[in-house]
Amino acid sequence: MASALACDGLTVRFGAFTALSAVSLSFPRAQIHAVCGQNGAGKTTFARACAGLLAPSEGSIRIGDALLRGGQVKDARAAGVELVHQSFALPPSFTIAEAMEFGLTGQRGAVFTRRGLQARWQPHLDALGVEAKPSTRIRDLPVETQQAVEIARALAGNARVLILDEPTAVLAPSAAAALFQRLTRLRDSGVTILIILHKIREVLAVADTVSVLRGGRLITGPDAVADLTAGRIAAAIIGHSPAKAGDAATETAEDIGALVGTDLPHGHRHTVSAPHAIATLAGITTKPAADGQSLQDISLTIGAGEILGIAGVEGNGQRPLVEVLAGLVPLTAGSVTLDGTAVTGLPLAARRNLGLRIIPFERNTEGLSLSSPLWENFAARGLLAKSALSLINPSALRRAAHAAFQSWDVRFTSVDNPARSLSGGNAQKVILAREMDDAAKLIILAQPTRGLDLGATAFVWQAMRDARDRGLGLILISSDLDELFDISDRLVVLQGGRVAGQFAPPYDLGRVGAAMVGDH
Amino acid sequence: MRARLLAVGWAMAFIALALILCGIIFQASGFSAPDMFASILDGAFLSDGALLHDLRWACPLFVSATGVIVAFRCGYFNVGTQGQFYLGGIGAAVAVAMLPHAPAVLVTLAAILAGMAFGALWAFWPGWLRIRSGTDEVITTLMGNFIAVLLLVWLTSGPLKDPAGSGQVTSSPPIPAAIRISTDTGVSGWIIALTVLVGVVTWILVNRTAFGVLGGLAGRNPVMVTWQGARLSRLGLGAFLFSGATAGLAGAMEVLGPDGRLVSGFSPGHGFTAVLIALVANLSVSGSVVVALFFGGLASASLYLPVIAGLPSAAIDMVNAAIALFITARSLPAWLRLPKRNRS
Repeated sequence: MASALACDGLTVRFGAFTALSAVSLSFPRAQIHAVCGQNGAGKTTFARACAGLLAPSEGSIRIGDALLRGGQVKDARAAGVELVHQSFALPPSFTIAEAMEFGLTGQRGAVFTRRGLQARWQPHLDALGVEAKPSTRIRDLPVETQQAVEIARALAGNARVLILDEPTAVLAPSAAAALFQRLTRLRDSGVTILIILHKIREVLAVADTVSVLRGGRLITGPDAVADLTAGRIAAAIIGHSPAKAGDAATETAEDIGALVGTDLPHGHRHTVSAPHAIATLAGITTKPAADGQSLQDISLTIGAGEILGIAGVEGNGQRPLVEVLAGLVPLTAGSVTLDGTAVTGLPLAARRNLGLRIIPFERNTEGLSLSSPLWENFAARGLLAKSALSLINPSALRRAAHAAFQSWDVRFTSVDNPARSLSGGNAQKVILAREMDDAAKLIILAQPTRGLDLGATAFVWQAMRDARDRGLGLILISSDLDELFDISDRLVVLQGGRVAGQFAPPYDLGRVGAAMVGDH
Repeated sequence: MRARLLAVGWAMAFIALALILCGIIFQASGFSAPDMFASILDGAFLSDGALLHDLRWACPLFVSATGVIVAFRCGYFNVGTQGQFYLGGIGAAVAVAMLPHAPAVLVTLAAILAGMAFGALWAFWPGWLRIRSGTDEVITTLMGNFIAVLLLVWLTSGPLKDPAGSGQVTSSPPIPAAIRISTDTGVSGWIIALTVLVGVVTWILVNRTAFGVLGGLAGRNPVMVTWQGARLSRLGLGAFLFSGATAGLAGAMEVLGPDGRLVSGFSPGHGFTAVLIALVANLSVSGSVVVALFFGGLASASLYLPVIAGLPSAAIDMVNAAIALFITARSLPAWLRLPKRNRS
């Protein structure tokens, strides 16, 4: 039987960097094929090359019997290959029906009526079990429905191969289960599915075969999942040296499990010797922001020497929570206390002077100025504590940055180089070096390990635990439940801008997951 | 250091390209390009007294350019230098007119300070609008230029008009020699001292203060410095006021120096040349010293060409415009890469 999709010696280079190196694979039809690997292993590059979005530097891709011309999305789609993107690519202002029609090619010049479009697409949605009206706008849909619509859009043509790039990253656990059911039904109807996955647990739950990439090379695959164990997949993903962080090679077995998503950790009860509140939020309510997020009557206490995890489906108030603590959004009600001082009306600069530190959501825009030299990025926090016209000594600041980067194990060539010269993990270490200083009392970490490889992730976790053990208060906001379960001393679930539940170890996935989607 | 040399090299290459383009146009419109360039070179640098003329134009240009450097570095595209320059001249002339009996030195100092204050005021309102409500400062500062020109016309033909004046161009009465900071040559100890002072102060501000580093970071990524706790409004307003004050100082220097009175429509291309100097120098204070001397030379050549060589002075405008075109084309990719500015 001919394979649905096969590549032979597939190599993709970006300049001097080889993202994929001589990958040869063939995927049998009508199966679910998982592709796994760490961040930076080449998974997304592989998906994009197969969908025709990237031209191979060497090698070839075959769809069925036809050779795919590299870099030609139209050809790939005509051959029946559709990619469901990691971040959704449907226009938010379109209705579902418009988005579906828009996705079809080769209808230039046709005239549509709203009613006609809706009538045309309703049966398609019904057939795929998508419960939404075709007249609803994309932006008004919950994220899992958006994803279902995106999949329906991909299947609107004659898709025979569906590629999904980390579809579970944005979903609550129950929504992920529903997605897997949907994919299984599609497989049974004859569609071949390539799914990029991060967690071994999910691979075992849904896939028929698994292929593992590491450092752009194919390590193994496609291997039948039935013959594999979680441990063997984990070994293939991690390779021989899991602790790339060097000195921070103190991960427990549970850490490794959380890193590759084998067994969900349940967390440890961490006893705080002399707990006192380092920060309190009382009855916080905010106006809805541009993205529709707001907080409704949030009350929280963060103790010294604890890591408070914030769980929740993305977009349920995580960003306003950080902005409220930073003093960057006005409150309609409530008060904030930091280390015993009422800071409700105080600007961020004053809060930072009291020991607040923030590792913001967006490393490359909010955390660093990519085009500015590294030493300026590092010095910014210290300079803002001074008056604007105070004289500085740039060579002393350069030396300080150099010393700090060395003690944080940042791989850099010169502090005069722009921040964009660093990899994601090293860029995050620069931010950690700046924000986790001796005067810090409360550190907010928003998605601190997103996009980092295993070594860098383990490094960040170690830094958080060290800070906790020094008596600092930490707030960890993450969409990765494995991470939250592994290192949070306490867990709060945000849903619709409210606290939907507070949990202590041992954590129970069922209860936390239910709180995330609002089932009590 | 290597990066800086590379930047200078690129700027030279673009100027060379601009000159080649001008040469082609000169040749095509019936002039001899080599003669044209020889005359420009003569007028700018080689003829008797050319270097002095060069300095006369370069000093105020450099002073204005320092303000442009500070504003642009902080990410605010204040292109209202011309208007702020005029307001500075007006401020100086008003101060002189209002203090008819005070000691000369005090009047001079008051006039200089008034020029800086007026210039700063003309940068304050676009800065305020930008920071309070996100109004695009490129539009407001450009519009401010037109208002300033009309204000100057009104003052020189109305309240400040010289009753004895009979020329085609209206102006204020001549300022007494004791109050002026230079003769008509425009080069004096006062002017050199003021220019050097502004250069040193700006260099320290940009390279040796917290404001300089944070302003540079804010210019490249305002979101990042906001998350560090910076108040962009203060930083931005400071940059606007500084650039307005330096342009105002340049205006006062013209009026109290070589012009000796407030002339309607004086130095019409000053502000744009100052912006050009800052851009060619890649927003470096020390680099703009050299670049200002170069453009000062071109400015003096534009007076030399029609008188001595019998050639149209518009040739210099063309050289300026061609350089502007190529330098903007060089900076364009970098500007497009700038992160979106926070409009809160």
